[in-house]
Amino acid sequence: MAHATSIQYEPVAEIGGGAYGTVYKARDTESGQFVALKSVRVQTDQNGLPVSTVREVALLRRLEQFDHPNVVRLMDVCATKRSDQETKVTLVFEHVDQDLKTYLERAPAPGLSPERIKDLMKQLLCGLAFLHTNRVMHRDLKPENILVTSQGQVKLADFGLARIYSCHMALTPVVVTLWYRPPEVLLQSSYATPVDIWSTGCIFAEMFRRKPLFCGDSEVDQLGKIFDVVGLPPEEEWPTDVTLSRKNFPPLLPRPITDVVPEINGQGAQLLQKMLTFDPLKRISALNALEHPYFQDEETLTQTKS
Amino acid sequence: SVQDGSSNNAKTLSSLQVDERRAPLKSWANACGPKECWQSVVDESRMALIKMEPERRWVCIWSSACVSPLMLSSPPFCGADGCMEESVFLYPHGLQGLHSLQALVPSLLRREVEMALEKLDLIFDHTYAWELFLDMMESQKHHTLSNADLPQHFTDATRAILVDWLIQVHEMMHFQDETLYLAIHLLNRSLRQVKVTTANLQLLGIVCLFIAAKKEECLLPEVSELCSLMDHTYTKHQLLRMERKVLSVLKFDLSYCPPLHFLLLFASIARCSDKVVWMGRYLLELSLFEGQCVVFLPSQLAGAALCLARQVLQEPPTPEGEAAWCLAFSIHIGSEMVLLSIMRILASAAAKAQTQDTCATFIKFSSPETMHVSRHPALNIATGVLDVWS
Repeated sequence: MAHATSIQYEPVAEIGGGAYGTVYKARDTESGQFVALKSVRVQTDQNGLPVSTVREVALLRRLEQFDHPNVVRLMDVCATKRSDQETKVTLVFEHVDQDLKTYLERAPAPGLSPERIKDLMKQLLCGLAFLHTNRVMHRDLKPENILVTSQGQVKLADFGLARIYSCHMALTPVVVTLWYRPPEVLLQSSYATPVDIWSTGCIFAEMFRRKPLFCGDSEVDQLGKIFDVVGLPPEEEWPTDVTLSRKNFPPLLPRPITDVVPEINGQGAQLLQKMLTFDPLKRISALNALEHPYFQDEETLTQTKS
Repeated sequence: SVQDGSSNNAKTLSSLQVDERRAPLKSWANACGPKECWQSVVDESRMALIKMEPERRWVCIWSSACVSPLMLSSPPFCGADGCMEESVFLYPHGLQGLHSLQALVPSLLRREVEMALEKLDLIFDHTYAWELFLDMMESQKHHTLSNADLPQHFTDATRAILVDWLIQVHEMMHFQDETLYLAIHLLNRSLRQVKVTTANLQLLGIVCLFIAAKKEECLLPEVSELCSLMDHTYTKHQLLRMERKVLSVLKFDLSYCPPLHFLLLFASIARCSDKVVWMGRYLLELSLFEGQCVVFLPSQLAGAALCLARQVLQEPPTPEGEAAWCLAFSIHIGSEMVLLSIMRILASAAAKAQTQDTCATFIKFSSPETMHVSRHPALNIATGVLDVWS
């Protein structure tokens, strides 16, 4: 099988060091299409591939049946042996040239129009709502893994990988950006699908600001920068299962979100606030966000409905 | 050594055909040791949620549920995707009761489906029940094969021997029924895509069962136990290599909507008696032996098995029972022609089940817990009953 895969997919370039290993751009020699190859090295014992890997990859495959316009296509999966202790699972995704980071960088001077931002947000939330209803969370949403095609279509990438990696990841120290992490992850509390909504909120703000919203350089610094804007949460909202105490932070009051995102309109500011809510249980869901008046007040480009 | 391997294996497979076929199972059971020694799946996966309390899932659900006439107040349902606009097939006992129901069928049915799925413990959240059902109906279409052709060197008979053996292993492992249906589904697909020699057929079979168990079960057997089940005809290495091969060829696509879920759903809506349900489950499991059944939708197999079960048992009809039955089968699952042809296949399989070498399912369903359904005398003449009826 290893042989067959390396023949079918011919590496063209390395396209990123990702948190979970190297990603290659490759050409599918059968179709001529470009693909993105992501390999996960999984620890295997004498009982073969771990149950968690089998189930998670199977779930990603299942999502393929729905052919959702806002998630990246998973075209092929392959398991090859590396050693008795390690199996390589290669995921072959459709390749999209541009991510949201470069898309934002390339936007000319005043930045993206409010209509464009609204359309991007709508597509992003559609993709997210789809993943969440299928019980898949992204957990590492950031501009780098939100792809934007040349037609302006948003496609989420790298979702569901976090779970595949986390259990059996090789023990290499990795630098992961903290900027889009929600408080519950920074505090190492339990978390679920609301994590992605926090990240989406950060990205929403970034589309207006053209620079990241919270740029911390450590967990505590990141939390400090967050509380600087959303205020220190009340004692009763502070998770009980964490080691970091609330007393480590100064008692700050929330600032109006328009202080940090002046370009946003009223409805947008209201939605952003609901996304950047400290308590994950009170944070808005992807489905409810799509129902928010921000998306309904005027006609929006509806590329998702094509 | 290749030669040795193949003759060895031929022996293993063929030894399953003779009469003392069930004897090795005892030694297999001993070799496997008590269940506590099995590796337990520590994955905190979402599967665990569904898989809790397997007993409760299928056993206590048949206590008769009462439907209140208040269902009239349920929200109107628009047959969005045409799933059920077309009413009904097969009314063996006439149409009485249906007429007044017809107008109410869509919303009534929706409510019934939701209640049944909840009773069957197939959903986490009541709000998503109807979506889940529509998804079951839709995604099952991905789970049929376009034809029943096997690669040239395999026959339906060889396949049936392998299925029979897998059913025995499955039973001995105390796996859930979903695991069996998934395993045979994976086998049907990989038989067509993985190049295997007859000598490696058993290996392919056990790997399909192993993968299905990884997807469905909480407790897994050790690979070494699986190897000893096959008299160490294959090494652990060979088994793990086959696992990678099968997963790669299937591209990790392990989703399947087992026909059993449809059967239990239909039976729950139709208020079938325990005996009809067991008979239906027996007939449905017999479909696993029939290579020609791979082209049918899981819901069609389930519907046909349940119809045939009712035909065979001929329980005295009641007005409520007839109405519930008509409601259940207002779910459009296929033409009468298709269902009738499946019923013929199952009827003839049931008629000869006892005399076949491959009789694991016959034996399984002859137990008191399954109400001895496989020994029901009417099964011997089931094909005849169908002919008269059609």
